[in-house]
Amino acid sequence: MKKALIFIALTTFSFNSFAQQQDHDTIISNNPANLKVQVLYFHITNRCGTCRGIEANVRKTIETWFSMELDSGIVELHILNCELPENKQKAEKYEAYGATLALTVYKDGVELNTYDITDWAFQKAHNPDLFIAELKAKIEAYIR
Amino acid sequence: MFTPRLFKFLTYTGLLAAIVLLMASGCSSGNHNEAQKPDVDPPAKANPVAEVPVADDTDSVEPVLASAKASIKPVQARPVVLIYNFHLTNRCSSCIAIEEETGKTLENYFAVEMKQGRIVRKILNVDDKANKKIAEKYEAFGSGVFVTRVFQGKESTTDLTGTGFKFARNKPERYREILKNQIEEYLK
Repeated sequence: MKKALIFIALTTFSFNSFAQQQDHDTIISNNPANLKVQVLYFHITNRCGTCRGIEANVRKTIETWFSMELDSGIVELHILNCELPENKQKAEKYEAYGATLALTVYKDGVELNTYDITDWAFQKAHNPDLFIAELKAKIEAYIR
Repeated sequence: MFTPRLFKFLTYTGLLAAIVLLMASGCSSGNHNEAQKPDVDPPAKANPVAEVPVADDTDSVEPVLASAKASIKPVQARPVVLIYNFHLTNRCSSCIAIEEETGKTLENYFAVEMKQGRIVRKILNVDDKANKKIAEKYEAFGSGVFVTRVFQGKESTTDLTGTGFKFARNKPERYREILKNQIEEYLK
């Protein structure tokens, strides 16, 4: 009985840790001098399946197609909770008061433009293959 | 007295005179037809008024015109705006906020148009089989907000789902402003 209780406690603890880890901010920025495209995805604390789906699609796009660019700093990935105080300033800059996907283009260390693709993301969120293919093309267009 | 030469002359002269007379008669007849053309009644198709029964006075014309107007298929005079709020059975706070803020926008700015039927709003659960067809039309697989303008058989739609998720919960005034502007544009 004691063993069973310990097992349940450990399992619950590990599941909670896993769930919390999912929503931790992710900032991958390896070499800002090389930066060409910053991929930013903001979300709120209480999230729905579509919002989580968009994050999963974004991560998969970067992992599958831009791992080298991520390592060299050409591409950066920022996944942030816009409701956290530490992200407030950044959220206001991008008008990210809820789920927001944006691409910011840099050249020679200077920020050029930001493209808000939130509407597009919600339209394509339920078709991961199409989402990944189109996001790949968008990023590729800016890192050439 | 009537020498053969004279007889020949008279015969030719008579024939010539007859030909001249015949030709003059033909020309005169042609001119007469042309002069009559304006008096000929035009075909009925060219003048639709001719198909309306002639009335003796203005009062009796009214019912005839009214019946003629009624027979014409009515054309939609002003656009109608449809607003769809789609959601799943299990809803997140952003989805609920979108529905609430859409309701507030309509109540605050478009109460008259709602009463007139110029704006029609529907809140639909995409998990409900009854809504499958309309959800597929809008490709609404989860939460979604769509504004559609219907005018003279044509539809145009703006998808405000992303905007809703971005603003409705933490910046509702911005969402209401964008939605209001879109509806006003579509009501024109």
